[in-house]
Amino acid sequence: MSTNKILTVVFCAVIAVSLLLAGAAFFMGSGNDAPEEETVPGLTVVRAPAQTEAVRPPGFPDPEENWIKLPDGPNLAEGKPVTSGEHTEVFEPANTVDGDLNSYWESKGIPAEITIDLEAVYTVQTVGVRLNPVPIWEARTQTFEILVSADGAAFTSVVPDTRYEFDPDTGNLARADFDPVPARYVKLIFSAKSSGRSNGAQAAEIVIFE
Amino acid sequence: MDEKKSPPAAVIILGLAAALCAAFAVFMFAAPGLAPRFAPSSESGNAGGPAAGDGEDFPTLILYEGPQTMTTSSTASVRVNGHELFVYDVMVNHEHIWNANTIPSDTPMAYFDFEGEVTIEVEAPGLGKDIESAAVLPSSHGIVPAVADNRVTFTVTEPGFYTVIFNNHVNKAAHIFANPLETDIPDKDDPNVLFIGPGHWTMDAILLKSDQTLYISGGAVLHTVVIADNAVNVTIRGRGIIDGSDFPGHNQTGSYARVPIDLRNCKNIIAEGFIIANANCWNFNSYSSENLEASNIKIISARQNGDGFTFQSCRNHTVRDSFARTWDDSLVLKNYSGSTRNITFDNIQIWTDLAQSMEIGYETNKGRTISPEITDVLFKDITVLYNNHKPVISIHNSDDAHIHNITYRNITVENAFMRGDNGVNNELIEFHMLKSGWSAVRDEYGSIRDILIDGLTVYHTLDGGVPASRFHGHSEEYMLENITLRNVTILGERISDLSALRANVNEFVRNITVE
Repeated sequence: MSTNKILTVVFCAVIAVSLLLAGAAFFMGSGNDAPEEETVPGLTVVRAPAQTEAVRPPGFPDPEENWIKLPDGPNLAEGKPVTSGEHTEVFEPANTVDGDLNSYWESKGIPAEITIDLEAVYTVQTVGVRLNPVPIWEARTQTFEILVSADGAAFTSVVPDTRYEFDPDTGNLARADFDPVPARYVKLIFSAKSSGRSNGAQAAEIVIFE
Repeated sequence: MDEKKSPPAAVIILGLAAALCAAFAVFMFAAPGLAPRFAPSSESGNAGGPAAGDGEDFPTLILYEGPQTMTTSSTASVRVNGHELFVYDVMVNHEHIWNANTIPSDTPMAYFDFEGEVTIEVEAPGLGKDIESAAVLPSSHGIVPAVADNRVTFTVTEPGFYTVIFNNHVNKAAHIFANPLETDIPDKDDPNVLFIGPGHWTMDAILLKSDQTLYISGGAVLHTVVIADNAVNVTIRGRGIIDGSDFPGHNQTGSYARVPIDLRNCKNIIAEGFIIANANCWNFNSYSSENLEASNIKIISARQNGDGFTFQSCRNHTVRDSFARTWDDSLVLKNYSGSTRNITFDNIQIWTDLAQSMEIGYETNKGRTISPEITDVLFKDITVLYNNHKPVISIHNSDDAHIHNITYRNITVENAFMRGDNGVNNELIEFHMLKSGWSAVRDEYGSIRDILIDGLTVYHTLDGGVPASRFHGHSEEYMLENITLRNVTILGERISDLSALRANVNEFVRNITVE
């Protein structure tokens, strides 16, 4: 190959590579760290994410996803008459049917019983006991039996004395299911509890479903 | 013999073209600012602003956008070196007597981080009137702002808390928190780090466990309460805001106390950098805990029982370089279960809209423990911007604790405006053994002794006179003892005796001296 041909090939290669590199620098940035014209030296603005409402922050999963589920139907107990033995201070039995998880019933000791009058006979098959699910209500156990009655005098046990776990991570609630049974009165008899912070049995809501 | 030939002209031109292209490629790599760059993918980015001039010293400045769900205050605007800050309207309360149904108002608050020298400009269209004068507190900064065209301008060189007062009135006072730069920001991927980024967030509670760090980024507004119960080695830090505005006042029907920082039986706690605003009760609570290091905490409260830093039966707690504007006691120590020992408040700015600025009591043995003490307490370099209600310095021993070795060193009260409660509780200093509605121990008294106030300066008072002070023991058996008042200056006059202090001293006080 003649010298002229070699030079021609080399020069063409240099031109091609140079144009490629210049193009790359234009579109991708040169890698040079010098500030841009518009940049204010030393200034950083921490940007806010696009949002339309306050939400749970990323990395903090909604704890309700892990809650024990309750039936979708109406809670037969809400707003109904309720009686118990002695209660602690202001924590009266009516708090278990007021629809508010912040208020609660606390018996004066253990054992303790509480009875809800549904004011009519229903075919019930699920009873739940709920405590406030906020984390400061720490995990605990309560042991209770569920009984039903048509007349408020003669009660039949539908779930024997059972130890239930209450944990804020699962909604701080216990659910008991049993064969459908006609009932106007539902009674819970508490025989044990694990929390040392309370004087007696506790329930923020007692919920009853057909 | 070989004959040397020159290349043809076409090859020479091709060579020149190659050289030019190569030079162009080098230029494209070397020259800044010519090429468009892909936008940064991080949360931080560069903002536009005045162009840099050659040879200038630029401060390091970090600004935080407010959440997109919120709008910046219409009351005031704040710029730092020409850059607009997001201004929050936070609840404050100008009612200076207890009211269970009080309705707060609001005031502007903004923050940024920096190092170097920056110029701050504040405008306040929400005042509804022209800005005719302005002051930047605390006065110790020596800042004389320029006021022109309804704009207040001043320069700061040190991180700190700057409060702009318009027209010599506290209404819509602008609180500007100029933070130092953050260092060692926690790694969001660390499994022990709970990372809250910029934005508007809400969750019922954050329960911190041992060895965890909660990081609340600047630009975050977080509606929650942070609870640590029986945890060790816990850190809470960041530049963001813990905001209680979602919750009604704790004493309202259906509501309850939502304490933004609630430490119980914890050990080794670090708290740094964040803001607590709009709480519905106490703000920064520590109960029966050990070893707290808190710094650069900013508290503004306006609702019932909005105590600032409140520690009960704690040991080894230090709070430094912090700010508390509160609608109840600003700094308060009590005994709920056991003794209080070794507590330091160092370089704190206080604005007390209700109750006392630095209170020990009333509850000094609520848990009825044996021989409780409150001892080795130091209040140092405290600046009270305003006290609008009850004593600035107070010890109310309402139970039977032995309160001793309490030191107040270099206390400055810029505005001692104690309005009291219908003619009472309006003292500057009150040390008192008494029974009260907060007493748990009704048949025993304790003691108050070995108290030193070394450096107390009062700039302004409500009526232009020296406010009264009270020193009352209970009986021959339960006396106030060894009270030393040194370097006390009120309204420019050095106080040389108890009479000049307008001190009400009963017969159950032994060895009280003014030096």
